[in-house]
Amino acid sequence: MKVAIEELSKVEIITKEAKVAELTKNFGKFGITGMTIYEAKGCGVQLGTQEYEAEKNTTPQLLSKQVVMVVLPSREVDGFLDFVEKSLYTGHIGDGKIFVTPVTNAVRVRTGEEGMDALKEGALD
Amino acid sequence: MNDKKIGLGSVIATGVGLVVASSCLLTLGIGAGSIGTPFIITMIIACCVNIFTLLSIAELNSMMPDLTGGLAQFSLACVGPFITIICMVGGYLLCNSLAGSVEGAVFGNTFAEMFAGLGLPAWVFSLVLIAFLAITNLNGVDVFIKVQDFVAYALIFSLAAMGVLGALGIGTGEVIEQPAALATDFKSVTGLCGLAFFLFVGGEYVIPLNKSCKNAKRDIPLGMVLSMLIILAMQTFLTLGFKNYTEWEDMTGSTTPQMLYGMALLGPMGRYWMLIITLLAAVSSVNTIMGSLAYILMGMSKIGLLPEFFQKKNSKGAPYVGILLEAAIFLVLNITGLSSTDSISYMISVLAVLWLISYIVSNINVILLRKRLPAAPRNFKTPCGYLVPILGIAGSAYMIYNIDPSWDVKLSLYRVVLITMAALAVYSFTWVKFRINRPLFKPYPIKEVMAMENELYFRFHSRKGLDEIDKKANRRKAV
Repeated sequence: MKVAIEELSKVEIITKEAKVAELTKNFGKFGITGMTIYEAKGCGVQLGTQEYEAEKNTTPQLLSKQVVMVVLPSREVDGFLDFVEKSLYTGHIGDGKIFVTPVTNAVRVRTGEEGMDALKEGALD
Repeated sequence: MNDKKIGLGSVIATGVGLVVASSCLLTLGIGAGSIGTPFIITMIIACCVNIFTLLSIAELNSMMPDLTGGLAQFSLACVGPFITIICMVGGYLLCNSLAGSVEGAVFGNTFAEMFAGLGLPAWVFSLVLIAFLAITNLNGVDVFIKVQDFVAYALIFSLAAMGVLGALGIGTGEVIEQPAALATDFKSVTGLCGLAFFLFVGGEYVIPLNKSCKNAKRDIPLGMVLSMLIILAMQTFLTLGFKNYTEWEDMTGSTTPQMLYGMALLGPMGRYWMLIITLLAAVSSVNTIMGSLAYILMGMSKIGLLPEFFQKKNSKGAPYVGILLEAAIFLVLNITGLSSTDSISYMISVLAVLWLISYIVSNINVILLRKRLPAAPRNFKTPCGYLVPILGIAGSAYMIYNIDPSWDVKLSLYRVVLITMAALAVYSFTWVKFRINRPLFKPYPIKEVMAMENELYFRFHSRKGLDEIDKKANRRKAV
């Protein structure tokens, strides 16, 4: 496998469904041309306890969330995270979690383009 | 449908409308009458200090958005319950109660002057107004809500127009010759900072608009700052107008200096114009304070800082304990002789000190949160590191020091404030130690303060609420 010329990172954002549309509206600013959104169930350190409840759950209660997955150039990640954090922030439990992982390569199957080329509008089209 | 439709213009209009109350016109008259046009410099100092504090409050709001209790909840997350109860619950509520009483007094004075032939004391008119608004609020009716925006715009337009006409000397009245400055020394100019502060107080009332703003991140801080600058411009023009049309000594002695100015500037028409504006502003302010304070009391009760009875609602859904308490405070203060210029001015100074203390705590809150949660996302952050909150603290302390030019009055004011704070400290200590059973100075986690906003929080955290939940669960099991 060829090594990507430009370093890429994958950012996975787990948050409430209600926040997703507002969040994804401005992704274009960070060179993001595509995204994957999927439904998920899960819980954090509170094990799904509602913020108003007095006692913490002893067994995990899974809550409905959405995961937004994007891949973008690593140099854009800091600015992107700042934007996502500010967009999702309400101060309440359940605002979300963000995971960042390095991506070694990306391939567009149809054209065989790799790395950042596979994420941009194809030059071969 | 997008319900976020308020833009920057509406934020500014609301900010100016809420800050400029009828008592501000009296304050301006007293200040300008005391030292002449140098009072403009005093106002600039007060305006700057207020802007620093408002920027700090905007940062707190960005960290804890959409809270109804406002400054008290910010403080609870920063300095713990003991100081919060003294400065924010006691001090801030007291400030607003005094502000409502002063507005009632200005209403009474204006009416008494217009209908001097009736020979009724001013407090009778205040009493009628307060009783009327208490009844409408108890019935869950906000009589003024439909005309609130109109009053805000009318107030801004009228004061700006009358200020510019007077400053340019183009009113129909006679331009008088008098010295522009009665005192220009540093002590006299800064000695009225506390009084001038009252002209800009309350910019934080804009914060609840956060929820309905199109671009809250930009418009709330910017709107608060621009409101302050617009108010400064209006008051500056009015001060210059006073110089051209009204004797300085008449301004200081009058309980309704704005009426004198209106008469001198445009004759009877100007007087009636000012009368209508003053009355609308006073009624709007008393109504807003009475209604919103009852809800703030209820909110503070929900977060455990005040007794539970403040949460009681009547059949119309109105928090009647708070409404009745506020009405009683307004009435007592008015009936016991708040109507004279001296007592209103004294009350305004007490109010300003208490308000300034709550502003100092708000600035400290910003510094504490920056230390505690340096990486937390802030949609608005005051520029230049710690400079703005530090300037806010220093400026507010400076204004407390310069609350009055006379040392005797100053000491008397400090005594009243200290006695009030001491009484609040006793209540706070007892309440925190024995009722809510929390450490005095340990801040609540932000997540807990935010959770307290949820209506269900109180049910899950009170013995009564838990009993109800248990009963329901048992009934379900039985079925």
